[in-house]
Amino acid sequence: MNPPAVPETGNLPASLRDPSTLFFQYDSVRRSIIAAYWVAILLATPLWWYTTSIERLPLPISQASQEISRPLQLPVNVCLQESKPIFAPLLQVSLDRFTSSRILEGVQIHITGSAKCETTSSGNSYIVKPGQTKLISGRALEFPMRDARSVEDLTSTLVNLIVPHLAHNDKSNRAVQFASRYRLAFSLLNEDASSGSGVMGWNVEHALTRYITPILDRVSHLHNFTIESQVQFHAPLAFDVQRLGNGEHSLSYEDLTVFVNSAEWTLSSSFSNEPVIHLVAFVPSSDHSPLRILEADGTISNSNAFILPQWGGIVLYNPSEGETSKQLSSRGFQDVFGSFANQLLSLLGVPNLPAEIQRDPRDRNTISDWQLDALLRRRTLEAVAGTKETLGSFIKLVDQIDNMPIGPSVRDDVQVALSSLNKVYDLASTSLFQTFTSSASAFDSSSRAFFNPGMLALLYFPAEHKYAVYTPLFATSMIPLAIAALREFKIWKQQRKQTNNG
Amino acid sequence: MVLLPRLYLALIVLGASIPCRAGLSEYFNEKLTLTPLRDGKVASTFSFSTLLKGGSPRDPSQLGEDDESQHYTLFPLGLGQILREYGVAELHLSLNAGKWNYDRWGYPLEPGVGTGAELWAWLGDGGVRSVDDRWKGLRSALAGLFCSSLSRLDEHRTTSPAETFKPEGSLPETSHHQLRHASLPSENVCTENLTPFLKLLPCKGLSGIATLLNPHKLFDANWHGLGVHVLWHKDEGVEVRLTFQGIFDPLRSAYVRKQDWSFESLFARKIEKACPVANSSEILVTLPQTGEYSISPEPTSIRNSMAVYDTKLVQKPLNLAMSWPHDFDHLAASSTREPLTSLSLQRTLRESSQLDGHLTVSLTNHKDTSTDVLYLETMPWIVQFYLHTLVATVEGRVKVDAVSNISYIPAIPHSRPTTFQAVLSIPPNSTLQLTMDVSKAFLRYTEHPPDAQRGWDLPPAIIMPLDDKLNSPRLYTPNILVDLATPDFSMPYNVIIFTCTVISFIFGSIFNLMTRKFVIVQMDPKESK
Repeated sequence: MNPPAVPETGNLPASLRDPSTLFFQYDSVRRSIIAAYWVAILLATPLWWYTTSIERLPLPISQASQEISRPLQLPVNVCLQESKPIFAPLLQVSLDRFTSSRILEGVQIHITGSAKCETTSSGNSYIVKPGQTKLISGRALEFPMRDARSVEDLTSTLVNLIVPHLAHNDKSNRAVQFASRYRLAFSLLNEDASSGSGVMGWNVEHALTRYITPILDRVSHLHNFTIESQVQFHAPLAFDVQRLGNGEHSLSYEDLTVFVNSAEWTLSSSFSNEPVIHLVAFVPSSDHSPLRILEADGTISNSNAFILPQWGGIVLYNPSEGETSKQLSSRGFQDVFGSFANQLLSLLGVPNLPAEIQRDPRDRNTISDWQLDALLRRRTLEAVAGTKETLGSFIKLVDQIDNMPIGPSVRDDVQVALSSLNKVYDLASTSLFQTFTSSASAFDSSSRAFFNPGMLALLYFPAEHKYAVYTPLFATSMIPLAIAALREFKIWKQQRKQTNNG
Repeated sequence: MVLLPRLYLALIVLGASIPCRAGLSEYFNEKLTLTPLRDGKVASTFSFSTLLKGGSPRDPSQLGEDDESQHYTLFPLGLGQILREYGVAELHLSLNAGKWNYDRWGYPLEPGVGTGAELWAWLGDGGVRSVDDRWKGLRSALAGLFCSSLSRLDEHRTTSPAETFKPEGSLPETSHHQLRHASLPSENVCTENLTPFLKLLPCKGLSGIATLLNPHKLFDANWHGLGVHVLWHKDEGVEVRLTFQGIFDPLRSAYVRKQDWSFESLFARKIEKACPVANSSEILVTLPQTGEYSISPEPTSIRNSMAVYDTKLVQKPLNLAMSWPHDFDHLAASSTREPLTSLSLQRTLRESSQLDGHLTVSLTNHKDTSTDVLYLETMPWIVQFYLHTLVATVEGRVKVDAVSNISYIPAIPHSRPTTFQAVLSIPPNSTLQLTMDVSKAFLRYTEHPPDAQRGWDLPPAIIMPLDDKLNSPRLYTPNILVDLATPDFSMPYNVIIFTCTVISFIFGSIFNLMTRKFVIVQMDPKESK
């Protein structure tokens, strides 16, 4: 056995080769391998960024905050017909007092005095004529103007007619939220038809044509309606009815709040998202008949109907002793549908006329022009306020939550809402109806943007979550890459120094 | 007091004969059929039918427009709205629990007895909304109405086997109609489905025959199921039939010797009062052909060896009871083995591994003549057929001509189910066995159900005899369970982190090897010694 040949410094035995002469040990090859990795990473980063980032389209935030802070004034022109301008300036002063006390927020009433007022059909202009009684016909008001004191009277009458909801400071919120389409669900509920005192059917179509359709036709510019009706023969109450001394039965105010037994009554199916106005006729069982409503002081109320705010109306119908027919009698129709009509009016937000005002007998509409204009004004103001509030909250929300995606549909909805809102301000002085349509569309678009389900898409998968899953892979792989690059860079710098020195 | 119900009847008959209302007239009929079975059990079938006279399904071409107002007196509004909204011409929904034993119980009065949920509907084509879009909406709406997971009857389970599910009523001729069918065998029926079901009845569960629908007893029955059927009869109108079937066992307790039953023992309720709006309200009891028995109270009439009770006329409260003088003879009942139906069905899935299985369907013909049946499998894509391995054997011998008229729509993974349909001819008094290899899918992580280890219920196969010319009943095989490869769901993060560590370790080693610089290290030979 020969000892192994010891190579001299720099010389290798023939069987071995200098590693630096191997092609994959060339500096350039090694460096290009490292560089290739880094190029791949750098090229992939934008792709990764693009595929994992949330789509957040820019929103017109400055325009929105500008529109939100802009106040809306619906101008109303009242032409006072008088031979000499005596009362008109007084009336204007008297009305301005209301404006300054902020009762008439959002509405501005201009008074002009003229010998001959032009009749108009626009919802912005009204005529006040001298007359014997307080009487309205069309958009004109006849008012007995006698002296300066009647100016005060006229002022309050005008405020009551033009903006009744502001004048009465109506906080009860009886009217349902605005929607372009409502479902009217008429239900005839028998508490227990098998007990012998039930109403087995009703000719609802006839009653609807007579009592309800005139109202619906009148407000058809504001809302569309889907009508449905049903009869139930067993609709038990969820509480016990009190028995009074005289054999009658009663419901207290507390009972009325829990009257609707939603567990047992299927009043309307929930397959559509349209808001429902329920109008319910309730026939108590023979054990609970007659059923009355008690006033707060314990006396029996004259009325047998009540409204559940924003939900609907209920009429208690006690069939009289002599009624043998199993169908709803004509008296029943009058009772039930007369009340339904009134309940529907107040649920839709149609204001009542002030008590002292008479209607022109030639005017056969159920809702006068004054009431309809007041309703439009109220809905416009509500819709604009609602839009502003929704947009404000929306922008705040988007600002606070960075992970919330904003897709093109949301952005478009916001833009439509803003442009509709802008149109409301522009149209306010020309046409009340068009102002209302724009405000409704602004409200619709802003709510649609706010409730867009796409905004929740990535909310539950925050970026932290993703990093937690992928860090074990990426961090551990990046370390050798980074170290190799650093080392190579050092060697390259050293080599350069040597060549410079050498 | 006795006169009052008569007066009622007279009034209702009067109301029915003179249409005094402007709208469509509506009729409500309720019926309960009780049949003592030869194994001592009692089959009960409730049927509540409401006819909307003159009504017709909505024309699909008008679906985009506003619908006319809907005014109903007896017809269920909640269901009526759904039918109008999606333009449904015919609809059948059944929710069942248990296996229907055809051999011992015979043909059910309502044929839809497949385990779990089954929904099929005929929808008119044309108009703005496509059939599939409306089918999807219909599923969701019914799911909401009946509080069940019908929305899971998605396109993964929807097929269109129009030969087996022919319309039971008529279809409007104005448009072409399409069938959509889906079944979900893992869906259970329970009291939350019965509550909305009862609300669709005019008298709810508070008067008339529906009083007997007591969930505590119904869902304790050996077999129970509810059904909703909407049909259109061309000359009559739209009919909604709500049904409930149950197989009760009066002999369940070991201490009970007699097969006696009563309303009180079966339903723990009596009929206290009649439904005031029912046009007819009948209870039919099938009377046994042999042996002694007594039935109380006295029936109103006897029709085709069935005792008929009119709930309006009989004394209330009504607690119908049947009793036998002698103890029930279990031995005699089990020795009469002859099945009640002319066909017996069996279907099994043998699973040798996590990837493959072997499907076997056995059909026994008890008749003396050979019979042709239509065999339908609507299998979700998780089980796929190897059709070339299909072998038909009769009593152990391969019979090539037993299977004919095969129609096969293969599954598409992650979307479409298989529809396999064939005509099988079974020789007299023999058993036909069909065998086929199947492959089982490997599911994505998110496709597993919450209780993944339980396996997947496969929908029942449906057999329809072809020789009976008139309205042959569909037979459902019991459903089977398939076990798919399931991952360990308990520690996904541990798995992710472990996998990442292994990958980065391998990556680091290879990368190091590629970029390592090899140098020659001089070693002094003297030193190394």
